[in-house]
Amino acid sequence: MGTQVKDVIIKPDAPSSLLLDKHADYIAAYGSKKDDYEYTLSEYLRMSGIYWGLTVMDLMAELPRMNRQEIIDFIKACQHECGGLSASIGHDPHLLYTLSAVQILCLYDSVDALDVDKVVEYIKGLQQEDGSFAGDKWGEIDTRFSFCAVATLALLGKMDKINVDKAVEFILSCMNFDGGFGCRPGSESHAGQIYCCAGFLSLTGQLHQVNADLLGWWLCERQLPSGGLNGRPEKLPDVCYSWWVLASLKIIGRIHWIDKAKLRSFILACQDEETGGFADRPGDMVDPFHTLFGIAGLSLLGDEQIKPVNPVLCMPEDVLQRVRLQPDILS
Amino acid sequence: MAESEEEVDVLVQRVVKDITNAFKRNPNIDEIGVIPCPEARYNRSPIVLLENKLGVESWCVKFLLPYVHNKLLLYRQRKHWLEREALADITCTLLLLNPDFTTAWNVRKELLQCGVLNPEKDLYLGQLALTKFPKSPETWIHRRWVLQQILRQSSVAGRSKKPQQSEADAERSQQLSEHLARTLHQEMKVCSDAACRYPSNYNAWSHRIWVLQHMAHGNVKVFHDELSSMRLWVSMHVSDHSGFHYRQFLLKELITEVSQTPASTSSPQQRCSTAPSSSSPPHHSHSQANGELSEAEAAAEEEWQLSVNTVLQLLHQEMELCSDLIQSFPGHETLWSHRRHVFYLWHHWRRDQQQLCSTNQESSSPVLGSNGGPGPHTLNAQSSAGGGGSVNGQGCAAEAMEVDRASLPDPRDSKRLKTGVLLPSPPALPSEPSFVSGVLDGCCNPEQRRFALAYKKWLDTVISQQP
Ligand SMILES: [Zn+2]
Repeated sequence: MGTQVKDVIIKPDAPSSLLLDKHADYIAAYGSKKDDYEYTLSEYLRMSGIYWGLTVMDLMAELPRMNRQEIIDFIKACQHECGGLSASIGHDPHLLYTLSAVQILCLYDSVDALDVDKVVEYIKGLQQEDGSFAGDKWGEIDTRFSFCAVATLALLGKMDKINVDKAVEFILSCMNFDGGFGCRPGSESHAGQIYCCAGFLSLTGQLHQVNADLLGWWLCERQLPSGGLNGRPEKLPDVCYSWWVLASLKIIGRIHWIDKAKLRSFILACQDEETGGFADRPGDMVDPFHTLFGIAGLSLLGDEQIKPVNPVLCMPEDVLQRVRLQPDILS
Repeated sequence: MAESEEEVDVLVQRVVKDITNAFKRNPNIDEIGVIPCPEARYNRSPIVLLENKLGVESWCVKFLLPYVHNKLLLYRQRKHWLEREALADITCTLLLLNPDFTTAWNVRKELLQCGVLNPEKDLYLGQLALTKFPKSPETWIHRRWVLQQILRQSSVAGRSKKPQQSEADAERSQQLSEHLARTLHQEMKVCSDAACRYPSNYNAWSHRIWVLQHMAHGNVKVFHDELSSMRLWVSMHVSDHSGFHYRQFLLKELITEVSQTPASTSSPQQRCSTAPSSSSPPHHSHSQANGELSEAEAAAEEEWQLSVNTVLQLLHQEMELCSDLIQSFPGHETLWSHRRHVFYLWHHWRRDQQQLCSTNQESSSPVLGSNGGPGPHTLNAQSSAGGGGSVNGQGCAAEAMEVDRASLPDPRDSKRLKTGVLLPSPPALPSEPSFVSGVLDGCCNPEQRRFALAYKKWLDTVISQQP
């Protein structure tokens, strides 16, 4: 009597080589389906969608295929009176999309398309007394939003505008006994939140506050027999969680603790040979989100066909060099 | 089938109205869904109300969603005016189809602020959306905002009391607290439903934690009730890591609360002189040295003893539950992870107690040093006080923590408690290494073996490295 291990089985005929051209075609075509029902359904996160698409194109050195001016104009139109940016025109501003917009503009070396001072004011205004950040004016608190705030400010070179000590204090209050982090104090450890908190501590120069061995242990236990990583115990492996876990391990200097070759074959198996793009798991529907994290994961694993990616900001290293940002990494 | 723009317009407006009317006709709708139906049937509304279930025929969704979506965005850009009633209807339809459309929830927040909508109604809408989209982060976020409005309103109402409370005021505050208790109860139910619909539902469980932190802070009874009502649930969902994390949260909070009883904060020396006492031969607390314990001191001591016993009992019961589940459902990572957490809680609680004692002993009471200072004896001894303690059917001595290298308590000391009050038999924690070898003996499930060995490694490294 065996237990049903929650994992996938990679079929022998699953893709095992990287189909870069297909992925570039897939992303290039994605934005042209604007009348799609699916496109409407996901408009509430459009800005992040554009960031995923452009970043993966840049990592594949295919950024020139995207419509630069159209995108910059769109971003300008999404900045609100308060300084924050929304996912799309007519939507409300939020830290999530403010970060995505600034990331995109960094890829295009055009941050000055925005009123940067207002962006900074917006972020500053969302910091709470306990150091945490609300995602928008309605006040929801989440460690993800702390990451968005410091990542945006770091890219803009304006980290000194907020109370960093307090912000760090809040993140540390979300640390759990397993070395991981959750969305708020007392919440369960979760690979996505860990990525945000590790990234936050890297950008604020506080990585020494992490118990790297303990957290590394938890992160390594995310690897399943298929080679894929999950985000929490007894969840299925997923390409996006593979990125979050892998990037966190990289940040805390423990990437060599997992089986890289096995992870690589899991990620490659998530490609769709016909349409291009990556899915969460082998055989599922592809999307730009998992396509970025598939490619970024392969880059962290050392694939030389892809540009080196920065584990903290999930952006090409050459872009970060241009903005002179070098987040800490533990060795 | 409608094709032209005007036809779509008419069709969609009718459907939005049908949805609004369905809610008027049946205020008890408890689930929504899309009915697979590729084509429209002549002269029939695509909105189907069957008992308490509201269904939308799939063919109309592709017209309906873009229409309400665009309408709302035009309104948001001030290109198209909508009456408040229409806004409420449109956002309702929109959110039932696409509940992560943040801006639509924000429009409803504004409607709530100006009194067009009431908080209960919005909690209800979110509840329905969660029946189809149990993870929807924006729906949970909106709920927290609404709950905060309710809390704010009731605290304002609570504060406006006059110094001399009239009967009417008392009644009013009674009503308020009943209303909050109902809201809390309802919220727990919404979380449970969502947790059943999607396994390890992070958003549902972290919301549940938020609710307790904000609506039941320090309310030991609520936490106890949650812990006991969750027992069956986790036993039936042994893979649900989030559900188990919730238990860990409850335990941690309860331990903190219970350890903070007024008596326990009265005198550290006293605490140390009582709890570890049963393990040591003649011991003298500060106060005893000067004579008999005062009545107040005795009461404080008794209360502290009770709180220690409560904590030990909580932890023991949890370890026992965990052992049972690990043995009944081999190969579940969630259960082993739970064991780590509970053990960790126990380990730290005990360490905190010992540190407290040892610092006080060093500074003020050399006599107490005869207890062996911060040694590991104290709690094992404590746990055998009252005798028996053989919840696992074994002698308590055999259950002493091997990792502690604990000495066995002297049974003569454990016959009675210092205060003379017979407390419920405090349980002993099972020996972890022997638990692991028990599991490994004759276990052929490879996953179970892997998790058991990882647990042992965790005990050997993480726990033993800690002070
Ligand atoms: Zn995913």
